[in-house]
Amino acid sequence: MIRFEDVTLRYPSSDLLRLDSATFEIEEGELCLVIGPTGSGKSTLLGCVNNLVPRFTGGTRTGRITIDGVETTTLPTRELATTVGYVGQDPLAGFVTDIVEEELAYSMEQLGVDEAEMRRRVEETLDLLGIAELRRRPLRTLSGGQQQRVAIGSVIASAPKVLVLDEPTSALDPIAAEEVLALISRLVRDLGTTVLLAEHRMERVIEFADSMLLVEPDATVHHGPVRQILRQAPIKPPLVELGVRQGWEPLPLTIREGRRLAAPQRRDWTQSPPPLPPAPTAGDPVLEATGIVVEYPGVVAVRDVDLTLHRGEVTALMGRNGCGKSSLMWAIQGAGTKSAGRVVSDRRISLVPQTASDLLYLTSVEAECRAGDAAADLAPGTTAALLRSLVPTIDMASHPRDLSEGQKIAVVLAVELVGNPDVVLLDEPTRGLDYQAKATLARIIDDMAQAGRAVLVATHDVEMAATTCHRVVVMAEGEVVSDGPARDVLASSQLLATQVSKVTSPVPLLTVEEFCNAARG
Amino acid sequence: MIRRYFLPRPLHPYVWWLWAIGLAVMASGTTNPLLLAGIIAVVCLVTVSRCGDNPWAKGFKLYLILGAFIVLLRVAFRIVFGGGDGPTVLLHLPTVPLPSWVAGIRLLGPVSLESLLYGLYDGLRLATMIICLGAANSLVNPKRLLAALPAAMYELGTILVVSFSVFPQLGESLVRVMRVRRLRGGQTTPKSRRRRLGVVETIIVPVLSDALDRSIALAASMEVRGYGRGGQASGAERAASTLLGMGGIIVLSVWSYFLLAQPGIGPHLGRVNVLEVGLLIMGVAGIVVAMGIIGRHVQRTRYRRDRWRLPETVVLVCGLLPAYLVHLVANGPDPSVLDPSIPQHQWPVVTGPLALALLIGALPAFLTPPPVLSTSTNNEEGLS
Amino acid sequence: MPRVDDRIDIPAPIVGVRLGWRSWLLIAVSSFFGLFALGWPLILPAVDVAPDHQADAPFILGAMLPLILLLVLAQITDGGLDAKALAMLGVLSAINAVIRPALGAGTAGFESVFFLLILSGRVFGPGFGYMLGHTSLFASALLTAGVGPWLPFQMMCAGWVGLAAGLLPRRVRGRAELAMLIGLGIISAYVYGLLMNLWFWPTITGIGVEGVPAGSLDYVPGAPITQNLLAFGWFTLLTSTGGWDTGRAIATTLALLILGRPLLVVLRRASGMARVTTDVAAPAR
Repeated sequence: MIRFEDVTLRYPSSDLLRLDSATFEIEEGELCLVIGPTGSGKSTLLGCVNNLVPRFTGGTRTGRITIDGVETTTLPTRELATTVGYVGQDPLAGFVTDIVEEELAYSMEQLGVDEAEMRRRVEETLDLLGIAELRRRPLRTLSGGQQQRVAIGSVIASAPKVLVLDEPTSALDPIAAEEVLALISRLVRDLGTTVLLAEHRMERVIEFADSMLLVEPDATVHHGPVRQILRQAPIKPPLVELGVRQGWEPLPLTIREGRRLAAPQRRDWTQSPPPLPPAPTAGDPVLEATGIVVEYPGVVAVRDVDLTLHRGEVTALMGRNGCGKSSLMWAIQGAGTKSAGRVVSDRRISLVPQTASDLLYLTSVEAECRAGDAAADLAPGTTAALLRSLVPTIDMASHPRDLSEGQKIAVVLAVELVGNPDVVLLDEPTRGLDYQAKATLARIIDDMAQAGRAVLVATHDVEMAATTCHRVVVMAEGEVVSDGPARDVLASSQLLATQVSKVTSPVPLLTVEEFCNAARG
Repeated sequence: MIRRYFLPRPLHPYVWWLWAIGLAVMASGTTNPLLLAGIIAVVCLVTVSRCGDNPWAKGFKLYLILGAFIVLLRVAFRIVFGGGDGPTVLLHLPTVPLPSWVAGIRLLGPVSLESLLYGLYDGLRLATMIICLGAANSLVNPKRLLAALPAAMYELGTILVVSFSVFPQLGESLVRVMRVRRLRGGQTTPKSRRRRLGVVETIIVPVLSDALDRSIALAASMEVRGYGRGGQASGAERAASTLLGMGGIIVLSVWSYFLLAQPGIGPHLGRVNVLEVGLLIMGVAGIVVAMGIIGRHVQRTRYRRDRWRLPETVVLVCGLLPAYLVHLVANGPDPSVLDPSIPQHQWPVVTGPLALALLIGALPAFLTPPPVLSTSTNNEEGLS
Repeated sequence: MPRVDDRIDIPAPIVGVRLGWRSWLLIAVSSFFGLFALGWPLILPAVDVAPDHQADAPFILGAMLPLILLLVLAQITDGGLDAKALAMLGVLSAINAVIRPALGAGTAGFESVFFLLILSGRVFGPGFGYMLGHTSLFASALLTAGVGPWLPFQMMCAGWVGLAAGLLPRRVRGRAELAMLIGLGIISAYVYGLLMNLWFWPTITGIGVEGVPAGSLDYVPGAPITQNLLAFGWFTLLTSTGGWDTGRAIATTLALLILGRPLLVVLRRASGMARVTTDVAAPAR
């Protein structure tokens, strides 16, 4: 269906090769998962399928691309609109119109589909996506998952043969991501659409994938069966990582397979429970919030919450979207509304907001750092030095908006940390980060805790909470529903369990590392 | 049949504009304050009964205020700058002596009834025309208006559709940035004036950057979905459209000179100046054909196009007929009813034909399908 | 399979709207018409002709002008507008539409703050500036229900401002650039106000008929040019030049002083931004 022959690409701004003679072929009806570290050229590869790269972005490309037996190498992107449907990361930014129905019809209008046919296809698409009741709603009032489903619907309404999805869930919370991925797998199974999907929540789609494309940082591309590519991939979901470390054959892709393979081990452990790493002891309380209430017109976002943060402790704040996590953080920091309650702390509190880039308005990273020094009355260069210790590779001259998500957070963190706060609040820092960026972030958080700071991280990322957090607080409808050591909360929960703990349950092991240590005895 | 006719639906966007323009033309042909007040009443009636609960309908009140402002301004001008020394002096204000270099300007001075009435009549006429336009603005969903633009306006329409969908997002982006800014604002107390001014920068720069970043994503999404597909015009077609368009504009320029300077040359057919009308038709035709050629290669269709049905025709007739009636009266035996004489203190009256014209203008309030209310669709959504 | 060399070489894209000679021609001719449609109250006395239709001229000409402007816009966009320029125009028009009611005391859209238009024209070139002037005011009029016969004239004048900003000398940078833009901002604030007043003046002040002598600020058809020029001068000074126009000039100057430099950087980055895709940014460690 899709054939790349010797495709090589280079952007005009740099001599760096982004794709190095990529050659592969994807069969019809296949779901191909594209993986690779951030910046490796996944987006470039996906963009090449409909010639968005280099037609839209600029660049030099050699090699040949054939889709469905037709050579498409030199066609303009818009002429490929009927062949390739393309969905990007942020659905809201890609919407042309503002009403669900009109958005679904937009591509067909461009393609000149006649009116009756268009009406029929819009109705069909509404049903296929299960969003018929939203048809007249303004797009921006939809939830993230609904928006992304509309975005997918708007391209499949014109019935393309190939669907290309570039990290469609990176900006979504887990439940919304689940909805979108379920839709994608249904499209593959029911409609037989060929799908090329870049996705960092690999574990959720791995079982449906027929093949995998790995884009290496050196711009080479490998295509092959899922298990084979996973073995050589630098980044793996925890379950696969566990399988590789334990030498399980065949490599487990689903929890079910994992549980079956781990059965003997589990049996051993039920007889003699493995030694668990000791829970870290918390320091003195540095912040005590009592009776926090946050009310917005018509909504109570936070309902009488007490929270104490301790020195050197990393606390995860979890719960579904809209459960009051952000409101609680903003209220604790003091910048947000607080209808009632008291925050007792004589320490400095820093908050890194969800969209970190909103805080960056200067023209270079260096300028931001200088502003940070000036704001905290420190010697020039202090912030820059701190930033380099966080992310050594960062280019100080680059524009803050050109940074990757992870780097943006690092810059904001550096500017905040230079004021030497005792309490650091992070509002969903893991959104849009891949495994590597998350690992860096985890290291930074760990260092902050080592330095005696209290850290509160709002996150949906269970694996992140398991590896870096000592304590987990779960909120629902503005109230705290559970609060305890990470192991107790995460391992005992259905929804918040990590992949490893699902495999080992009822033995409360959370991470690959813990499993391997326990298995070694 | 009647049920079907009155099924709630929005009318074709052009039709309200044509109706409003018809009434505005009617207003432009008269200074009779009673008739003008009647037109305003008719416009208000139709607007209130047919604008529904749409956000763009809220502007109508502003138009009414603007109308009142215009009338006041006209009258105030008459008083302050001493317009029209009529025989019936109402007020003796002292003339403010001005230095000699302010030639031709008189400040205050006696105020006559005629002068005030004149300001009032003419102001009312202008206000009525403005209010008619306000009605059109309030009755038509601007988005449907864009969707009904001719094919040659495809790109322009798309630009506006984009700005419509970006508009509310900007507000959200602004709120977010302002909120986030407080995090930094808490630490840095504004030390100098320069820094206080810089506060604007910390809001506008992120909002603008955000919006521009979005626009690139949007452009990619449009490209991917086939925006701008279709053939390019050939060389001959381009030449033809340029030539016709340019010719059209030049002919219209000549026409506008004829219209304003009124040389009155050329043959007449009855009261119509053939040359003038001919130039107008030629100019407009040239431009329309040029646009047709440009739009020929746009092969796109429209989802749920607004259709022209019977109610549309009814509204159109109700807009044009009153203007025609006024035109008949103006050319009839007693045209002075349209412009009651001020020096003779003629009392304004509304005669039979004029009352009929008002009645016809008001008919769309009853003879059109009611608008779709957004609350009703919400209920529908709630049930399903 | 032999190695095929299908080489596609696309330079880094720069956002802008290209104006071909046809477009320039149409802009020139339409501007000529527009100037006449605005300036006839003073032009006709200058050639010693007594005008007619002075009461409804703003409306009649206001009905013809949109046709002409739409043709010019259609001509410019025909084949000359890529998706990027279009999206950018849409977004910037929306921002201008937000700024207009926020910073200007807009009455039926009689107010406009030009700083973003000037900056965009400067960065993206004359074609883009011309388009943006039109689309900004059109979008703002549709959003605030301000469509009327004044709209085409406002669009045209704003188009000229954007065009002028794009035509300023390219090489000037730094302080001189900012000073130049502020100069343009002040001039356009006053000229825009003047032209919009000129359009409305014969109608708003009314025309003396039936023996009622005209007020001293009124347009007097057939009167010598000096008399009308004087009357208009006082009219515009008293109604707007002294107040709104000065306010607009000050607002534009202040906005350019505070925001000019940072926004130029932001816009310049956006104008060639496609070069910097997320992929190109150095990877996180």
